Amino acid sequence: MSTDTIEILRRTEAPIHPAPESFVRKYIFSIDHKVIGVQYFIVSGLMILLSGLFAEAIRVQLTAPHNTFLTPQQFDEAFTFHGTLMVWFGAIPMVTGAFGNFVMPLQIGARDVAFPWLNMFSFWTFPPAVLILLSSLAFGAPNSGWTEYPPVSLQAGVGIVFWTTAVFTVGIGATLTALNFLTTVIKMRAPGMTFTRMPLFVWASAVTAVLSLVATTALASALGSLFLSHVFNVPFYDPSRGGTVVLFQHMFWFYSHPAVYILIIPVFGIVSEIIPTFARKPIFGYKLIAFSTVSIALLSFMVWAHHMFTSGLGPWVTLPFMILSMLIAVPTGIKIFSWTATLFGSNLRLTTAMLFVLGFLSTFTIGGITGIMLASVPVDWHEHATYFLVAHIHYVLFGGTLMGVIGGVYYWWPKVTGRLMSESLGKWHFWLTFIFFNATFLPMHFVGLLGMPRRVAYYDPAFQGLNLFISISAFLLAGSFLLLFVNAFWSLKKGAAAGPNPWGARTLEWMIPSPPPYYNFKETPEVYATPYGYGEPLPYSAPYNSVSTTPTY
Amino acid sequence: MTVHTEALGHEHGHGHGIMTQEEYIEQRDTRFLGFLLFLFTDSIFFTAYIFAALYLRSAAPVWPPVGVERPDVNLGAVNAILLFGSGITAHYAMHRLKESRIAGYIWFTIATIILGSLFLGGQAYEYAHIHATWSGSSFGAAFFTLTGLHGFHVFVGVIYLIVTLLQSLGGTYTPERHFGLTAATLYWHFVDVIWVVLFFLFYIY
Repeated sequence: MSTDTIEILRRTEAPIHPAPESFVRKYIFSIDHKVIGVQYFIVSGLMILLSGLFAEAIRVQLTAPHNTFLTPQQFDEAFTFHGTLMVWFGAIPMVTGAFGNFVMPLQIGARDVAFPWLNMFSFWTFPPAVLILLSSLAFGAPNSGWTEYPPVSLQAGVGIVFWTTAVFTVGIGATLTALNFLTTVIKMRAPGMTFTRMPLFVWASAVTAVLSLVATTALASALGSLFLSHVFNVPFYDPSRGGTVVLFQHMFWFYSHPAVYILIIPVFGIVSEIIPTFARKPIFGYKLIAFSTVSIALLSFMVWAHHMFTSGLGPWVTLPFMILSMLIAVPTGIKIFSWTATLFGSNLRLTTAMLFVLGFLSTFTIGGITGIMLASVPVDWHEHATYFLVAHIHYVLFGGTLMGVIGGVYYWWPKVTGRLMSESLGKWHFWLTFIFFNATFLPMHFVGLLGMPRRVAYYDPAFQGLNLFISISAFLLAGSFLLLFVNAFWSLKKGAAAGPNPWGARTLEWMIPSPPPYYNFKETPEVYATPYGYGEPLPYSAPYNSVSTTPTY
Repeated sequence: MTVHTEALGHEHGHGHGIMTQEEYIEQRDTRFLGFLLFLFTDSIFFTAYIFAALYLRSAAPVWPPVGVERPDVNLGAVNAILLFGSGITAHYAMHRLKESRIAGYIWFTIATIILGSLFLGGQAYEYAHIHATWSGSSFGAAFFTLTGLHGFHVFVGVIYLIVTLLQSLGGTYTPERHFGLTAATLYWHFVDVIWVVLFFLFYIY
């Protein structure tokens, strides 16, 4: 058999694993990246909802200055669970496990990720980790905030053991997913797809995987040391035996600063896919967007101590961290300007997905600007322990990550389910979410600047008016999400058939039926250019170059 | 006529039957990259604790702290020689297999396993006789955590080598196809290199 014959054989037959028959192998212990992506979507979506419920409990407590809805102890548990669930069990698995798993292999023209069995294992570290974390509610929940700084976290009882074990377990899955994704992007791309022809979401997934490989393991050692300190009384953090508590902050933030980029870089990728599709234009500055992602990733490892300006590090440590932190605004600004330039002069189609991306652009920019304010040491000294910081993180993680994720849900929903969602319901959802998001978090800047401390169950009655307004907005914000669920169920029952390419997009996942067949691509496509050349013929080999790119929604 | 479908070995993945040599090489390269990334992320685990050790040291007026003794450098050196020796035997085992000299491969692998086990014995002896405890001081915290983590890696490595030895006796690996062995050998060298750092960190520096 000649090499050519083998090449043709590889393209036309031989799936890398046979289609499963039984229900269990199909939907539970599946090794298909698409099913695993949906599994991640469901579990992390539930975690985001649960985390949101804890947030609403916090807001109920803060409707009155000395409310008795929660005890201070329960209040501490509520914000600890809110942060922990949202970061490790909601947002990170959502942007990597769900979106990365479903979309990335399709976009590179692959039949699956590099290690499908490992992928299944990665997912199955996740539900046990959730159970471990939630079971701590029965034994004494962790209550020192999602950062769990010692010595407070070490004095708080057995909750810390559950917390470290749960986050460690979910971290194993995250690391293996990163390893899998990076190998997939490097080795499994369709022929002709050079690095500078990859869709921008693939760039984002690959860079996120690098961040995760370095940082999540560093977090594992920080968690390990906290676990050992509690269980075996190892004195990492006990000054009377030579330890130092600031060490934990270094180890924790060496992970957790890159982690905020693990949370946002895939969303940059989602946004970079949605904007050219609905602007009907090639994306402005493809290489600039791709390379600025890489430089953000590099910088993110050199800025961790900006979370520790109030820990007494001294000016020779804080000054370089301040400058480097502010420097991140440059590559981020390059992206914002490139997206805006793509929108400029375009025939913009305001679908729900596009509206959420426009919402993302405005709120994330505000979050970025307050980020530069907080990166300034003198400002941070005043605002670090106040609601100003809470407002900043929510403008970045809700206004940034979650807005982009919801945009991505509306964008890829037809590909995953084969059915369209209701655009009119979706637009109601967007406007209600956008208005109540700003009504919730914008006033937090003001109460923060006025001096209201975060993470405290009671507050000065002078802040009551604004807090009541924030709480009511927060309840309405939560309510606006009902429209998303109604829309999802309506779409599954009655939504119109989507067809392969309802938005008229040009990346590879839209060149195959919706939902994609088990092996994704019957023949591996060949790629001749970047996908964003709107107005040009599709850059793929037959039969993938004959799909219509006229929007049909 | 470049490749033939008659595969020599039994090393295969993803439930396939017999692969062509070309397919095998492609799959091997993918797994090799995945394994390198695993070793990379594992090295971050050690790096973080090494950073912690250096940080604790910088926070202490004297190192090791007053009342804590440094571990015996002679014992550490013997252990280092045992481990580096096992790295050399692992290297030769791999070469013998590639040259189809199976007996040489088996003996060198057994030597590697014995040297690795002796290292673990030496470390157990050290733990039993050292005048420092895990919970007693920051030095003890760093020393026992890092050497314990490393010892665990050596233990896993010994098991890994025993498994690959049994597999090759069963005919899993051939001179052409032996990714599992390559991975085990690479892992063993990785564990060796970590010990160089730890030796300097705790016994000399």
